[in-house]
Amino acid sequence: MDVTLKQAWLEQRNNPLSSAVPENTEGTHSRSKKIVIIGNPNVGKSVLFNNLTNNYVTVSNYPGTSVEVTSGFADINGERFEVIDTPGMYSLTPITEEERVGRKILIQGRSDIVLHVVDAKNLERMLAFTLQLIEAGLPVILVLNIMDEAQKAGIKIDFTLLEKLLGIPVVGTISTTKKGMDILKERIVGYAIRKKS
Amino acid sequence: MQFEKNHDGPIEHSLEIALETIEGLLHDRYTLSRRAVGLLLLQEDHEIQEMVKESQPTILDHIEKIISGVKATYAYPIEYEIALLRRDEVERIINRVVKVKEKEQGIAEKVSALMMNPIAGFPLLFLILYFGLYKFVGVFGAGTVVRYIEETLYDNHLNPLLVKMVAFIIPWRILQDLMVGEYGILTLGLRYAVALILPIVTFFFLVFSVIEDTGYLPRLAMLIDRTFKKIGLSGRAVIPMVLGFGCATMATLVTRTLPTKRERLIATMLLALAVPCSAQLGVILALLGGHPKAMVLWAGIIMMVFLFIGFLTARLLPGERPSFYIEIPPLRVPHLGNIFTKTYVRVKWYFLEILPLFLLASVLIWLGKLTRLFDFLIFLFTKPVAMIGLPKEAAKVFLFGFFRRDYGAAGLYDLNKDGLLTGDQLLVACVALTLFLPCIAQFLMNLKERGWKTGVGISLFTLLISFGIAFMVNLVLNKLGISL
Repeated sequence: MDVTLKQAWLEQRNNPLSSAVPENTEGTHSRSKKIVIIGNPNVGKSVLFNNLTNNYVTVSNYPGTSVEVTSGFADINGERFEVIDTPGMYSLTPITEEERVGRKILIQGRSDIVLHVVDAKNLERMLAFTLQLIEAGLPVILVLNIMDEAQKAGIKIDFTLLEKLLGIPVVGTISTTKKGMDILKERIVGYAIRKKS
Repeated sequence: MQFEKNHDGPIEHSLEIALETIEGLLHDRYTLSRRAVGLLLLQEDHEIQEMVKESQPTILDHIEKIISGVKATYAYPIEYEIALLRRDEVERIINRVVKVKEKEQGIAEKVSALMMNPIAGFPLLFLILYFGLYKFVGVFGAGTVVRYIEETLYDNHLNPLLVKMVAFIIPWRILQDLMVGEYGILTLGLRYAVALILPIVTFFFLVFSVIEDTGYLPRLAMLIDRTFKKIGLSGRAVIPMVLGFGCATMATLVTRTLPTKRERLIATMLLALAVPCSAQLGVILALLGGHPKAMVLWAGIIMMVFLFIGFLTARLLPGERPSFYIEIPPLRVPHLGNIFTKTYVRVKWYFLEILPLFLLASVLIWLGKLTRLFDFLIFLFTKPVAMIGLPKEAAKVFLFGFFRRDYGAAGLYDLNKDGLLTGDQLLVACVALTLFLPCIAQFLMNLKERGWKTGVGISLFTLLISFGIAFMVNLVLNKLGISL
């Protein structure tokens, strides 16, 4: 498909910054699993990304565009994940250049886990995109972020029922205080194992 | 963890069939599911088309045929249909999963609710119109301020000076006429643009920007959605309609935001007929300000025509009732910087648009005078003008109105200043001029947006209606012996 894109990915993997990170001793030579974070702008994606990745971060311009894509590594339960934070994205049908880049990453990236981060206050506005992602057969985990504000606004969300209706894991987080991060990590590991089998 | 079912996507029957056919054609080596790829193809996503073309070059033609078949069976773009279905699906899930506890309402929420509640909302709308439009734009802007600029500054000081200067510089009488004659570039064109229209439009856009910046417009859309549905429009049409009070030409362009052809046609029609533009509105409000009864009658008549014609067209034009969803942004105290910028940008746009046209009008009239064409055109108007009980000097105003609505309004202002109109005649003239033909700019826009048949049709229809209604108003006033 897109040759320049593949090159960019390879370059990113061979990036001096990321190779400076100590190798996972237990790790095999197979590539690390990939987590892609997507969602509207201003839902706390970047904070969540930072919470996951312990700051092994590379920022690179997406080939041919001025759109920045951030990537880093996360060690969860001794397993290494590559984490990619995409620019803001509203749906699978892109309008802006940023959205186009986000979708390219989804389509060409072979992600193992897609974290769809949404603002819990505005679930209604963002759920359509979640449906699209599920429909596309992507391994989605829905992250309801900014739960504190949703609670303040008197919004109650039935997580068990939502998981049942959507058929995917749903996790509530408050990325600014790292609340819910442990559960999210658990789900990521669980989901990765489940996908393998 | 176990999960019950996978989500298949909310797709209606014939879309579903097309989608399944497309899915059958696709191989399963795309990262996205065949269903998702199919859906994106249905929405004619260019990148996805390219992707499929590269991987399965032979099937794209077939897929395109299927898609054009589906498109023919839907009124709206496929993208919109899919979005609607998806939204329904989201709604179903949200209704089951999310509960919102009623909270203490803040002041903003309370005011917002009042604005959209019919019992409180309409009186509130009336207050906004009364103080914002009538008192501020009409009485203060078009009345007090314009009178000062126009009469005190222009008539008493600037005009005599200009006349003297031109007479001094240009010796030839004909060219003097072009510059400072009865219809001169400086004495009429520039005066209309700078002394009359500019202040009125500035006042109007100032009010409009304040209203816009508070977030009132979407609430107004909610409030009158039900009334608008009766005339074949939805609350969404509020934006072009309200903009129409600024400039109907601009508003006609904005009717593009309406989703169906039918709505666009009805909106274009009503904009051409019953929505006065800001300059017209300002002048009319100022003129009728001294005759409260005439003012109320004028507003009533225009409103009735608006609703009646809208209702009638909605009956005559086939089509479904429009659906309406709008996001209500929070209400807020308007930001001074925003208001200033918005007003400035709009006024600048408007003024730069009219100034050359107004000056050109003077040149055209000058040429028309020389060739006698002007007098002939005026003559064409004298008969209908007499029929609706107006003095023959009013013919000029309608000819001006043909050229541009605001130009006609300015003409009416002059006519009244010369004391040529009684209260009754003022009402009749205002009604006729409000309903009168769209100006040339709007006419061209109508042609461009709606096609020439519809464009010409709308113009003829408005011409007929405006004189028809004005004729009836005059008749009724005379028969009942009312003098306003």
